[in-house]
Amino acid sequence: MREYLPFLVIGLASGSIYAIAAMGLVVTYKTSGVFNFAHGAVGMIATFIFYSLRVDVGVPTWLAAALAILVVAPLIGVVIDRVLLRRLRGASASSYVVVSLGLLVGLQYLAIVIYGPATRSVEPIFSRGTFRLPGVNVGYDQAIIVAISLASALALAAFFRATRLGIQTRAVVDDADLTELMGTSSARVTTFSWMLGCSFATLAGVLLSPFLGIDAVLLTLLVIKAFGAAAVGRLVSLPRTYLGAIGIGVGESLLTKWVAARPSLAGLPTSLSFIVLFAVLVFSRKGSFAELTTQAVRAAGGARARLAQARARRFPTRLLVVAVTIALLLPARLDGSRLLTATSTLAFVLVFASLGLLVGLSRQVSLCHAVFVVFGATTLSHFQDAGIPYLLALVLAGLVLVPVGALVAIPAIRLSGLFLALATFGFGVLAQYLLFGTKYAFGAKALRTLSRPEFLGVSFLGDKAFYYFVLAVVVAGVLAIELVRVTRLGRLLRALADSPTATESVGVNPTASRVIVFCLTAFLAAVAGGLLGSLTQVVNPTSFDFSQSLFWIAVLVTAGPATLGGAILSAVLLVTVPAVFTAKAVTQWQPVAFGVMAIALAQAPNGLAGLIRIPDFSSLSKASAWRRRTTGSRLGERVAARAAPGETTAGVRGVPGSMAGAGR
Amino acid sequence: MTALLEVTGLRAGYGRNEVLHGVDLRVPPGAAVALLGSNGAGKTTLLKTIAGLLPARDGHVLFQGTPIEKRPANARARAGVCLIPEGRGIFRRLTVRENLTMQVGRRQLNGTLERAADRFPRLGERMNQVAGTLSGGEQQMLALARALVTDPAVVLADELSVGLAPVIVDVIFEALAALRAEGRSLLLVEQYVERAVGIADYVYILQKGEIVFVGEPSQCASGVVFARYLGASA
Repeated sequence: MREYLPFLVIGLASGSIYAIAAMGLVVTYKTSGVFNFAHGAVGMIATFIFYSLRVDVGVPTWLAAALAILVVAPLIGVVIDRVLLRRLRGASASSYVVVSLGLLVGLQYLAIVIYGPATRSVEPIFSRGTFRLPGVNVGYDQAIIVAISLASALALAAFFRATRLGIQTRAVVDDADLTELMGTSSARVTTFSWMLGCSFATLAGVLLSPFLGIDAVLLTLLVIKAFGAAAVGRLVSLPRTYLGAIGIGVGESLLTKWVAARPSLAGLPTSLSFIVLFAVLVFSRKGSFAELTTQAVRAAGGARARLAQARARRFPTRLLVVAVTIALLLPARLDGSRLLTATSTLAFVLVFASLGLLVGLSRQVSLCHAVFVVFGATTLSHFQDAGIPYLLALVLAGLVLVPVGALVAIPAIRLSGLFLALATFGFGVLAQYLLFGTKYAFGAKALRTLSRPEFLGVSFLGDKAFYYFVLAVVVAGVLAIELVRVTRLGRLLRALADSPTATESVGVNPTASRVIVFCLTAFLAAVAGGLLGSLTQVVNPTSFDFSQSLFWIAVLVTAGPATLGGAILSAVLLVTVPAVFTAKAVTQWQPVAFGVMAIALAQAPNGLAGLIRIPDFSSLSKASAWRRRTTGSRLGERVAARAAPGETTAGVRGVPGSMAGAGR
Repeated sequence: MTALLEVTGLRAGYGRNEVLHGVDLRVPPGAAVALLGSNGAGKTTLLKTIAGLLPARDGHVLFQGTPIEKRPANARARAGVCLIPEGRGIFRRLTVRENLTMQVGRRQLNGTLERAADRFPRLGERMNQVAGTLSGGEQQMLALARALVTDPAVVLADELSVGLAPVIVDVIFEALAALRAEGRSLLLVEQYVERAVGIADYVYILQKGEIVFVGEPSQCASGVVFARYLGASA
């Protein structure tokens, strides 16, 4: 047992740091109702500033830390609250998830642009000396960290109990409107909670940096470990969050020692916090997690959103014909690497179209899409090794992922919104750490090879032939998605996204419809993954790591999640643009731009695609113009779009415009 | 006489649904106004819009002659407009003491608590209890006491007596009468029409978002007015 003692000490220290990060997360979530996925990214950026001040400017360590924690971090908090979130008031939970994901992506890649991707080592902050406790040596730095964490927990508790601002914060949590009626600005209190949260994230980052160094990705994800601890506290209880964090830290550390002799479980310690996160979400009873984010109030911009929805409801025949025609003609003008880029773009259209089914149609944010893509590729590779013909293997690879999708979705979906995002995120990380190394995915070689198809005497080995094969599969997949959109399932999902309660009250089982669509997207993403794997003919665990899932959400929201046009635009922006414009400025800033655009467009009904006006050629045809004039429902939508709130005439007051229009 | 609180041409609503279609209303200084109307007439919406929880789409809310319809709710509360919302207007997870002192500086703290305990002795005994565990009547007393902390010039009370035992309703109305005696104005929405009219100087009746009757309580005495606007049951 004795050999575990040093690991206990290490665990207490790292758990204390997680606790600081997690408490910051919980304070912000409790007060503002916004779960900040970018919590770690904020800590990372501010820690980089600490590093710059200390190393590049030569400011004394304590001053650099104080500036980062007490000045920079609160400023970031103010900007997030006042600039990014205030305008979202009344938006749906998924809009808030998207904004914080956009922030995460933007900050992460901004740090890469500024500081580069390499990990920088950080000089110790505290003394490296040790003192002796019975049976174990303890570092002064470890003891100081535990003390700082405990002190901040107690200070936080005292703040909420004894200070006026603390009581006001709890009052806002209880009832924000009533706080306003008492003469306290709830906005001011919320802003303060963001400042506090960001400071805690930064404190955690600064304390962690000497042990792990800093880079854009590592620190972001390490602070995200706080997610697990926050989940233990049900996202609201500070004492439980603190204990959860200590538990996760200690558990991780002891597991590290334990798995040292068991290499196949090497990913277990890193994944512990996500196992906790996932388990808490899965085993929570419905209702035990309070969804604090205000539900959608359909008010401003409603007419435009309805128009975008109306567009998404139609089968995009014209767009499909035009896109497929262009895609068919392209290979004649492309060769070499350009052709590979085009093929990759095609496969990504399927990736984004399937993700769009979730994000755009049923307003569910899934953060493990990249896992489905990767498993699609590896599973296809396994089936190929087993000698199964290509087409069958491709379909089977997709089907294998269906139960996996269900496994993730069924427990999480009943919790809805934010918690689906959290659970899928946890699953994505788990899959990467625990499953990628096993024989079901990449195996010990960390590599899988795939071949391209050959069947019915036709060979698709060549780049051009394979391009057409991919095109055929993608068109089939996109057709399936567009059919879902316009059929009953699509209507149900739209209705569910609009008002789950109302939809359930007419006898629809919301869980079933949502799980079906989740499984379908898992299937299609896996097929797309198989295609991408066959394109490069080799995949490895770094081809698509889980952070890609977050990145893709930002891309899709930027381009337009609700329509096929948005999916195509996403693929072009992500794959084609950096391949064609290879200037460093483009490739470097592209991901940052996606983050920024996702934040800006989180509430837009259909991203950039919704802003682009495609000329309506069908209006040239007399027949279709006549059809449009006489079709009640479309007319209704236009009436609805035209009638601004308050302009409704007395006779139809209170009646939704579309219904009023349909009667005419 | 200039009104303490004056509403002119006020329009407000939720989403595309307009509830108030141009409401005019005056509350003179020191007066009690009863606002009556059937369910869905817009009474709560009117109070919320005056207090700033809902934006006014058109029209003005004047307090002591200055338009306040653009100000946030917290600024209106500090200026002296106090809404006790429908249901129990308290912070359920805070203690009684915290409910009363969250808005008060350290120096006024003791005075505030004493005044509340004087008016509602039962609250005085329960200062450290979590408000959500109080009885319904005690919660409503706390809501009233809490409202008085801000020293409002006008109190907007939304259905204070709902779900309370008659004895408690008496206590609530006594407290409201005491507020008037201190020179504060009242705008009351009440289900106990008789009692509200009993302490009111003016009666307004709201129907489908429009004021359909303005008068003094004596005009309502015959019951004709109520029969016409509120239905026989009132």
